[in-house]
This record gives sequence, C-alpha cells and structure tokens, in this order.
Amino acid sequence: MRISTNTFYDLGIGGIQQQSTALLKTQQQVSTGRRMVTPADDPVAAARALDVSQSLAIGQQFDANLDSVTGSLGMEEAILTSVTTLIQDVRTTAVSAGNAALNNSDRATLATELRGRYQELLGLANSTDGNGQYLFAGYRSTTVPFVETAPGTVEYRGDQGQRLMQIGPSRQVAVGDSGAEAFMRIKSADGTSQSLFTTLNNLIVALETPAGGSTQLTGSLNAAMANLDSALDNVLTLRASVGARMREAEAMKGTNEALALQYQQTLSQLQDVDYNKAISDLSRQEMGLEAAQKSYLQVAGLTLFDYL
Amino acid sequence: MGNSILGVGVSALNAAQAGLATSGHNISNASTPGYHRQQITQSTNVPQFTGAGYIGQGVHVDTVKRAYSQFLDNQVLQAQTQSSQLDAYYAQIQQLDNILADANIGLSPALQEFFSGVNDVAADPASTPSRQSLLGGAEALVARFHALDRRFQDIRDGVNAQLASSVGVINAYAQQLAGLNNKIALAQGNGQPPNDLLDQRDQLVAELNREIRVTTVKQDDGSYSLFIGSGQALVVGDRALALAAAPALDDPQRLDVAYVTEGTQMVLPQDSLTGGNLGGLLAFRSETLDSAQNTLGRVAIGLAQTFNDQHRLGMDLNGNMGGDFFSVANPTVIPGKGNSGATASVTIGDASQLTIADYHLQYDGVNWSLFKAGTGEPVAMSGAGTAASPFSADGLSIVITNTPAAGDSFLIQPTRNGARNFDVRISDPARIAAAAPIRTTTSLGNTGSARIGAASVESAANLPLPNDITLTYDSATNQFDVSGAVPAVAPLSYSDGSTLRFNGINLVISGTPANGDQFVVSTNSDGVGDNRNALILAGLQTRNTLAGGTASYQGAYSQLVSEVGNKTREVETGAKAQESLVAQTRQTQQSLSGVNLDEEAANLLRYQQAYQAAGKLIQVADRLFNTLLSLGNG
Repeated sequence: MRISTNTFYDLGIGGIQQQSTALLKTQQQVSTGRRMVTPADDPVAAARALDVSQSLAIGQQFDANLDSVTGSLGMEEAILTSVTTLIQDVRTTAVSAGNAALNNSDRATLATELRGRYQELLGLANSTDGNGQYLFAGYRSTTVPFVETAPGTVEYRGDQGQRLMQIGPSRQVAVGDSGAEAFMRIKSADGTSQSLFTTLNNLIVALETPAGGSTQLTGSLNAAMANLDSALDNVLTLRASVGARMREAEAMKGTNEALALQYQQTLSQLQDVDYNKAISDLSRQEMGLEAAQKSYLQVAGLTLFDYL
Repeated sequence: MGNSILGVGVSALNAAQAGLATSGHNISNASTPGYHRQQITQSTNVPQFTGAGYIGQGVHVDTVKRAYSQFLDNQVLQAQTQSSQLDAYYAQIQQLDNILADANIGLSPALQEFFSGVNDVAADPASTPSRQSLLGGAEALVARFHALDRRFQDIRDGVNAQLASSVGVINAYAQQLAGLNNKIALAQGNGQPPNDLLDQRDQLVAELNREIRVTTVKQDDGSYSLFIGSGQALVVGDRALALAAAPALDDPQRLDVAYVTEGTQMVLPQDSLTGGNLGGLLAFRSETLDSAQNTLGRVAIGLAQTFNDQHRLGMDLNGNMGGDFFSVANPTVIPGKGNSGATASVTIGDASQLTIADYHLQYDGVNWSLFKAGTGEPVAMSGAGTAASPFSADGLSIVITNTPAAGDSFLIQPTRNGARNFDVRISDPARIAAAAPIRTTTSLGNTGSARIGAASVESAANLPLPNDITLTYDSATNQFDVSGAVPAVAPLSYSDGSTLRFNGINLVISGTPANGDQFVVSTNSDGVGDNRNALILAGLQTRNTLAGGTASYQGAYSQLVSEVGNKTREVETGAKAQESLVAQTRQTQQSLSGVNLDEEAANLLRYQQAYQAAGKLIQVADRLFNTLLSLGNG
C-alpha cells in the first residue's frame, strides 16, 4: 500500500499526542490524589461520593448533638442530686421535729432552718445552664420558672415542654424535663397534685405555729412526710430516666463512630487514587511517550533526497 | 527523415519537461491541505505510414490528471463531520461536567452548610448567634445557586455566540464556493480539468463539513450543488444562499438557525441540522444544557417550597406564625408571536410532581392542550383553567384569562429560572420559626395518670389559636369534650395512645384519665426554647421530597451530576472512536491522493533522464542534418 508523506507525519504526531494525553491524566491523578479528575471519569462513583459525603456530615452533626445532650443531662443530673439530698435532709428534720421533747421555740428554730432550705430549693429549681437559659422552664427557657408570688406560694411560670435533639437518623432524645414534672406534680394522699414548695411551706407553717394540740402537729408532720416521700420518689424516678437517657447517648456515640468509619472507608474507596497503580502507570506511559518521540525522529529523518 | 526525428525529440523533451514541472508541483504542494497529487498522462502521436511500416511520431501529453477518488474523499468527509460534531459537543459538555462536581462551586457543600445551620438552631433555638449563622448559611446557599445558574447562563450565551459565528463562517464558505463554481465552469470550458481549482473547491467543502453536514451533488457543467439539513440548498451553481441566526419561534432568548429565502428568515427544524460544529452545539443545547438547567431549577424550587411549607407551620421568636423562608421562583411563560389577548399565568402547585421538561400550551379553538416541548408528547390536564379551578398537570397550576383565539400558544418553562430566582426572604434572625405554634399542658389538678404528648400541626389554617382549647374527660362516655376550639369540635372518643386530630392539630393522650381530668392546648407564647419545628426542618435534608417522593435534595443533585457525567463520558468515548475512524479514512485517502516525497524524487530522476535522453536525440538529429548538408559539399 502506498503511504503518503503526510500520513507519516500525521501518524507519528498522533501517536505522540495520545501518549502525552494519557500521561497528563495519570499525572493529574497522582498530584490531586483523586481517582476521578472529573465526574466523567466515573459518573456513578462521583454521584455516590456526594451522597456518602452528606451522610458523613450528618453523622458529625449527630456527634455534636450528642455532646450537647450529654452536657445538658449531666447538668440536670447534678441539680436533681442536690434536690434529692435536700429532700432527704428536710425529711430528717421533719422526723426530728416530731420529738415530743421539743418546745415551740425549738420548733421555731427548725422552721427557720427549713426556711433557708426553702430558698435553696427555689434557687435549685431556677437553675440556669451556662447560657442563661433556665433548665426547668420547659420551652420558656428565658422566663423565670418558679416565682414566689406571695410568701409561701410559688407559681410555675414555665410550660410542660421537653426539648428533643436528634442523635441518630431516626432517634430523638429529650434533653431536659419540665419544672412541672420535677417539682409541681407530686401526688398527694387524696390523688391530686401538690407542689414540693407547698409541702415545704406547710411544714414550715406547722412548725411555726405554737402547738395547740399535739394531734394537729402530728397530723401535719405525717402529711408532710408522706408528701416528702412522694416527692423523693418523683425525683428519683426522674433521675433514673435521666440516667437511662445518658446511657443511650453513650451507646449512640459508639454506633455513630462505627458508622462514620464505614462512610469514610466507602468515600476513600470511591474517590482516592491507588498510588501503586497510578505510579506504575506513570512510568509505563513515560516510557511509551519517549519511545513514540524517538521512533518518530528516526522515521522522519529518512528521505531519498539525502541520497540525490 | 531528420525532420521527424527532430520532431520526436522535441516532443519527448516537452513531455519530460511537463513531467518535471508536475513532479515539482507535487513536491512543493506536498503539505498543502486538500491537495491531490497530479500526474501527466502521455500517449503516442499518430504514426506515419511508410512502405516499411508505421513509423511512430513521438509522444504528446494528454492531460494532467489528479489522483482523486470521490468515494474515498466522501468517506473522509462523512467521518470528519461526525467527528467535528462530537468534538464541539464534548468541548461544551466538559464545561458543565467540571462545574457540577467542583468542591468550591458545586452545590453539595453549600447544602450541607445550610442544614448544619438548621441543626444549630435546633440545638439552641433561643440563641441569636445560631439563628444568625443559619441565615448566613441560607445566604451562602442562595449565592451558590445563583453562581451555578450564572455559569449555565454563560455557557448558554456562549452557545448562542458560537452559533452565530458558525453561521457566519458557513455563509462565507458558501459565497466562496459559489465563486469557485463559476471559475471552474469557465476554466473547464477550455477542455482540460482545472485541477488546482478543483482541489480548492474540495478543500472548501471539507472545511464547510466541519461546520455542518452538507450533501454534494455534481452537476453536468462541473459545478457542485450543496444541500444542508433536510434538503435546503446552500449553493446552486454560482448562487449562494445564506443561513442566519434568528430568535427561536417560541423563545426569543434562544438563537436558532434560520434559512434566508426571498428576503425572509425561515427557522429550520433544529434536529434536521446535524454534523459539524453547528450540529454539535444544537445537540448539546437541546439534549444536555436545557435539561441540566431545568434539573438544577427543580432542586431549588423543591427546596424552597418544601422548606416554606414546614416553616409556615412554626412560630418565630416574636410569637408570630412563620412566613416564607425562601422565595419560590415562578415558572417562565412566553406567549407565542401572534397570540390574541389571552394570558396564561402559571404557578407551582406541588413541587414534588415537577418534571424537568418544558411545555407548550396550545388552543385549537375549542380546547387547551398541553404538550412536552421537544418530544411533543401530550400531557393530561385536570381542571378548567379558571382561577377557581386551574388546570393542573405535572405539579403546575395554570389559569387562563381573557378570550383565546385558535392557534394561541404559550411556552412554559417551569424550572428554567428556578435557581436564578431562588432567594432568602428573612433577614431578621428572630423571624426564623424554630418553635411549634402550640403547647400542651396536663392540668396539675388531674387525678388520673393520663398525660398529653407534645402536639404537632399539619395545617396553619386555624393558627395562631385565638384562645386555649380545653379537653375534659368524661368517663361516662369515654370521650373528651372540647371547648374553646375555633371552629368548634365535637367530642372526641378516647383510646390510649391513639392520635386525636382536629383543626389541623394532632395530639396523643396516653394513660388512664380520671373523670373531669383536663388537658389544655394553648398558643406557645414565650416558648423560645422550643425546637420542634427546627427538628422537622432539619429532617427535611434526608426526606425524599422531590421527584414524586423518590429523591432528597442532595439525591436530586447527585442525579444531575451523574447524568451529566455519563453523557460526558459517552461523548468523550464517541469522539475518540470517531477520531480514529477519521484517521483511518484519511490514511486510505492519502494512500491514493497523497504525495510521497520519495516517489517524487524518483520521478524527478526518471524525467530528468528522459530529458537528457531526449536532448541527446535532438543532438543526433542535428548531426544527421549536418551530415546531409555536408553531402552537397565537395
């Protein structure tokens, strides 16, 4: 077959260009560390990589939420521990007030001590987190939840909401409890609810009243102790719930970490270049390019005009 | 005697000279594009009859023939025009492919940032800094959509510009070809083929083929007639017709290729124009660019509408119901030229039903019908087209006003400008509706063990609540009497843990209520720590809200990336394959028509020797004559 001079040049240059293009592509892969220089290199993997990146980012969000949850629940746990101790102390005082040997002024002294504890309880119930938001106000976190409207009467100004946070793809957990559940809705003997403040106040008033007949005092003390027991039960139940939530948060943290690792591995498989393969491709293509260039020079140098 | 030998010698000399000149011409034009090598054809002169036989009278050159095969040249043209189309398509689609997955300009990082902001508000709804950061993320998302749309628009403008310049180039070639046709017809009148002019004309046809596929028909007088598209004549004899880039019939923003005939521009059906640069640009625009921009628009519109719908169900820091968070772009409606006064106004009904097609709405005198642009597939519409009962199809809501006339038509582009007109409508952080609009209370005076759960809302029609709603349990009927509800609500029967629904509110009461226990639903005043709506908004990120419930926002965008990526790869592979086909056909054509310098060198030697031999012959003829002359002497 006849070969024209143009064909010699076209084929030679064409070969060199092909080798250069392949070499450049491999070089880009190696320098960026990415297997896909553009999505066209592997469209399905490119789309999947975007989806997996989103899942990874959402997982990180859950982690941040979990830290916040653990923090909030820890704070609530600490407050409730103090409240538990307080109730137990008050109960002890109530028991000792039943001692027949005490006189009015002794009981008045106890009452004064209890007044102090009353204020302490009010303070605990109005605790804030680090950002100035009240822990036991439900959704009304910038409103003071417990307000003493008249001496001995405490009104709950918060609501009964519980804030939830997303800690997993389909799992939400409550990060607090409303003041109503913790301090106001305490079942008393007749089935209705009585707040802890009212119980405490009744006890104080009973101790401050000069004892007319000891039966009245005993009755009040018994009622107070029954309510205090109920309040203690309530707080302990709440603490158990908080503890369970904290355990769940811990467990979720572990699950999320494992999941994040999976996502990262998948992402790496999709996106990262295999350096071994790429570098050996690189040296092979370099050799190919050199061979194309050298052979072109040799062939192009042959012409009959040299011999005329 | 000597006379005829001299004549033979001279004829040989002339032939050798012609051969040398032709070889020289071949050598100097070895790399001229479109050159076909030329050869002289020589034949013997008429012999002279003598008693001793027929004496040959030498040689004459018949013609200079070019080594041309129409079949081989045509093969190269066909391959080249397809290759030019694929190259043009690839150059355009590559730009698109690079934008979409770029970490700096792609959509995914901005989408993720935005939803991180929503999650931050869900974590701490009362905090102004986290609300501010959500607004910042929303602005960044808007900016990203706008930047992407601008790139799409730039590419679209680039296609228009290249279309116009390609049309200009085609017209210039057509003019030149007409001129050449004329010259060739004149030159051929002399009886010999004007090889170099023919080469020039063939080269022009080859260059024209790179712009658009042409069909060539050779006429009897030697001129070429060229046809494009579905048979429109571009060059006939020495007359050239022209193409023009004119606004499309249904969309004035778009340039289409038109045919100029008798002074008017007739827009050609664009899918009949294939091959070459022009074919590549047109195919890219209709197959890839339009649907890619529409897909991006659909993501923007879907995100805006679904986010707004949920945002409106929430309550902001000021105690007001949430308004629109994003602005939802309205579909573009372009009335046809020559419409009567009828107007069509189109809004987005249900974003999850939107497709990525454009539509033609047409009136035939009796009924309105809807067709998909491009394929012409009919789409069923429900409704009557009035404001009370709009036409409804594929997520669109169409209202026609004024009286239409037969032949009225509208082009509807539902999602084309979806990304461009995507915007944030809130600038005050307090207006982010993170809270739910209602709260529930289990009365402290209750004696039963039942508790009411946090309520949710599915419609904002009866909100905010004008007054508190109280549910009182009646153990005789196992029902709740509902008081304070506007509109009023009949008693609801109770079953532990089931959902009670009224006036757009859903709530769950579980446990055992005692007779007379009360549960109150009231407006969520001062509920600044409530994040219920923010949680639902954050959850939108992973819900399948688009494309009939099959894709999330990121999912729909990933589909776009993958589709464009696939098409790019397809075009790239096609272009490479076509390139090697072009190389092969060119090689075959060159093996016949190309100049081989070594061969020409050998030819030079050959003709040179023939010239020298012919010169020797003349010398001998001269000696013979001198001999004759000297016979007379002495």
